[in-house]
Amino acid sequence: MADDGGGAGAWSHTAAQLGELLDLVDEAVVTCDRADGTVLGFNRAAARIFPRLRTGRPAGTAAAPLAHAQARGAKRFSAAHAGRRLRGRLGTVDGLAVWLLRQAGRVQGADAALVDERGRSAFLEEAAQRLGASLHHGRTARTLVELVTPKLADVSVVVLPASGRRTDWHRAGPGDARSSGEVAVEALEEVPEVANALYGLQPRPAVVGAREPDALDHLVPAEFVRGGEPLVAQLAAGGVPAGVLIMWRGPERDRFDDADVELAQRFAVRAGLALATAALYSQQAHTLAVLQAGMAPAPLPAADGLRLGAAYRPAAEALHISGDFYHVAPSAGGGVTFFFGDVSGKGAEAAVLAGHLRQSMRTLAMVAKDSEPLRDLRLLNDIVLSDGHRFTTLVTGSACPRDDGSVRVEIAGGGHLSPLALRGDGSVEEIPCEGTLVGAVPDPGFGRTEFLLEPGELILFYSDGVTEARGGASGREMYGEERLVDALASCTDMQAASVAERLELLTTEWLAGRPHDDISLLTLQAPPRRGSPPHPQPESRAGPRAGKDEGP
Amino acid sequence: MNGTRITEAARAGFDACLAAADEDAAIDLAVGLVASGVSAEDVLLRLVAPAQLKVGELWASGEWTVAQEHAATHVSSRTVDEVASAARATARPPAGSGAQGRVLVACSDGEWHVLPARILTEVLRLRGFDVRSLGGSVPPDGILSDVHRNGPDVVALSCTLPWNLPLAYRQIETCRWAGVPVIAGGSGFGPAGAWAYALGADLYAADARDAAEALLHRWPPVLRGESSVGADAVEAYAMLVRQRPALLEYLASALRDVCPGLGGSSGTEQEEGTGFLGRLLDSLAAAVFVDDERVFTRHLAFVRTYLAARSADSRCLLAMTDALAGRLNESPRALDKLSAGRRFLTGQEDGSGSRG
Repeated sequence: MADDGGGAGAWSHTAAQLGELLDLVDEAVVTCDRADGTVLGFNRAAARIFPRLRTGRPAGTAAAPLAHAQARGAKRFSAAHAGRRLRGRLGTVDGLAVWLLRQAGRVQGADAALVDERGRSAFLEEAAQRLGASLHHGRTARTLVELVTPKLADVSVVVLPASGRRTDWHRAGPGDARSSGEVAVEALEEVPEVANALYGLQPRPAVVGAREPDALDHLVPAEFVRGGEPLVAQLAAGGVPAGVLIMWRGPERDRFDDADVELAQRFAVRAGLALATAALYSQQAHTLAVLQAGMAPAPLPAADGLRLGAAYRPAAEALHISGDFYHVAPSAGGGVTFFFGDVSGKGAEAAVLAGHLRQSMRTLAMVAKDSEPLRDLRLLNDIVLSDGHRFTTLVTGSACPRDDGSVRVEIAGGGHLSPLALRGDGSVEEIPCEGTLVGAVPDPGFGRTEFLLEPGELILFYSDGVTEARGGASGREMYGEERLVDALASCTDMQAASVAERLELLTTEWLAGRPHDDISLLTLQAPPRRGSPPHPQPESRAGPRAGKDEGP
Repeated sequence: MNGTRITEAARAGFDACLAAADEDAAIDLAVGLVASGVSAEDVLLRLVAPAQLKVGELWASGEWTVAQEHAATHVSSRTVDEVASAARATARPPAGSGAQGRVLVACSDGEWHVLPARILTEVLRLRGFDVRSLGGSVPPDGILSDVHRNGPDVVALSCTLPWNLPLAYRQIETCRWAGVPVIAGGSGFGPAGAWAYALGADLYAADARDAAEALLHRWPPVLRGESSVGADAVEAYAMLVRQRPALLEYLASALRDVCPGLGGSSGTEQEEGTGFLGRLLDSLAAAVFVDDERVFTRHLAFVRTYLAARSADSRCLLAMTDALAGRLNESPRALDKLSAGRRFLTGQEDGSGSRG
């Protein structure tokens, strides 16, 4: 086929004459809407190649090679069609896609097989790539049925393995139609090929005869597939049934032949593996999600006379579990009780102990009449010691709003970083609360202290993932307490929740995407007095502070 | 309140609530509008969103401190929560038929402007979509894990700051490889979403309403994006990322020579004083990545305003771009963006628009 180029043509005919002129051309010409692919016109040569082509409809099954090329976004194609090789190339005129098609001589034996084989390999390669990308069971099933239409069939349904009396199915076709639903297993089992495939006993795809005309009506309305005999393929991975693929062809299309059955089998091997993997992943992901929900910190309660904030960024971001733990509960006499801690190590092992601790703390809170933090800590020490070789830091305490708007905070702790208080004058004060780690020695000593937060003042508890975050210009420097103190000092007049969020932001920026330990922050604040809006502060520091604080 | 419209008085009232960081009053005002018949979507998009834009401007122009900006943003964010739950409580049928399509909303990696994503989440929910929201700065493995676990039909990715574009690209690739189309939104994706399409996003929406309409127009969305990020651009970008620590050190010392006033006496104050240099490098790298000098010149325009508002000498910017050009003379792609920056700063070019 010669390349375009050379001089421009010249025309002085009417539009109607141009159509007739095109009919004289040997090359087949099909014009389509560029946006939706609807056929707008075609010449006589095109009608000879595709007798069922109609204007105002998509190319679809009437001109399958063309439809496939459109679907792929291809500008050229070479395909076997009705026993001959068809080559097409795409031109564009304004909003029109113009396909120019030329039929080569009848393709002979090996040559035809090669063209077909290339098409099959490309199909299977695309299938492997698209199926391999998804681990979500439903999406994999939808991708699977989309892949086989219209290449292998006009309508395809995948039925997933039954876990009870009913089971799920997904359908693609005819055309762009997509659907899904549930069907009774009993109904499907009326078709022996389908029953066998469901239980992994149908090693080769089989065409189902027309003897059970109604059994599959639950999956496809009969008018879609009048009289068509479906091809049933088992989907399995190494003997584990993963589902059944059932394919129909419309009445205009050739029946499934041996080559189709072979291609369906090669496809089913790949599809079965992908579907089985996704099913396994989905089960595990579900289990994990349930466990995670039990391990993640509970949402903060609303408490009168107190503002609360928290940030939680586990080291294993994808799994979202952490050895850091905190919990805040409203207490009967007003105010809240809370605890905050960090189990040694990270990941699932640390998270399990953190989960035990949270549960133990909550149980202690339920059985004890009065809050006795030192007694609680000693009990916990025994629990952690008996649990094994890990230990934890822990701060436990209560915060109680007083009539004058201040909040009295009492904390007791073992081995945890001292909390930082942001005072009304903008200074940051460390609240020492020393003690041994919980679960490290049989006879521990724990610290205890009390202090007041005046209106607007705030206390911050944080895990060492904050101060030990490595980053900065060199990428190796620790964030450190000095930076944290400075950052907290810049948060005067902010609400507890936005302080936690801002400190998380600054730490994460410092990390700049590098791996990190579990990061947790908890803030408690005495609300500022009503009618005392934040003091408009003059710019507190010399020099620019461009950062991610840039406005929205 | 006056029927179903948001009055100027309501806007001014809401702005005042943000300025005073008065959460209760802000929520009363916004929820009151919903109760008086204004649609929750209008309250979110015509009251909260524009007020929050003003907050950003007040911060950029130096009138507000970081703390004021954060306090106001928190009030806006709480208002979004309450407006949404008030709207749900009125139990009106969804304004559109999201047909329970599943959408995953996430901020691009490194992106902490969470409010646009929060508003999008609620607007889509009000339209009947089933939305999960992952919050600020979501790493690609966080998105991938959620995509595999919950199987959304589309991922909506929000990006406010263009220097996050290379990270956003990784997220877009991650989703599309998993077979899930991406709708991008936010000012970070550039004029008319030009950079969203360059990164291979399948759809772009200027705001939450556009996003809802685009999704409802053709549901489910299909994979049709095609990234135009070239291997050469990625290599040039990678070179800048590798050299970032050295370049940053070099720029910081050059800055001390040119503008000794920038940066305080203590170590951390100096870090803050030179913090904008890191953003300058990141913006240059992002401009190289998407191969569009406007990523860089827009950032220069912003920094110039920002420095001027803080009585800092914005001429040091020119010195910085020149210093970079001296160090990066082996990267034609970086030089290309730097000379566009120079033309912009010296007024030979009008720049491609200031921010906001």
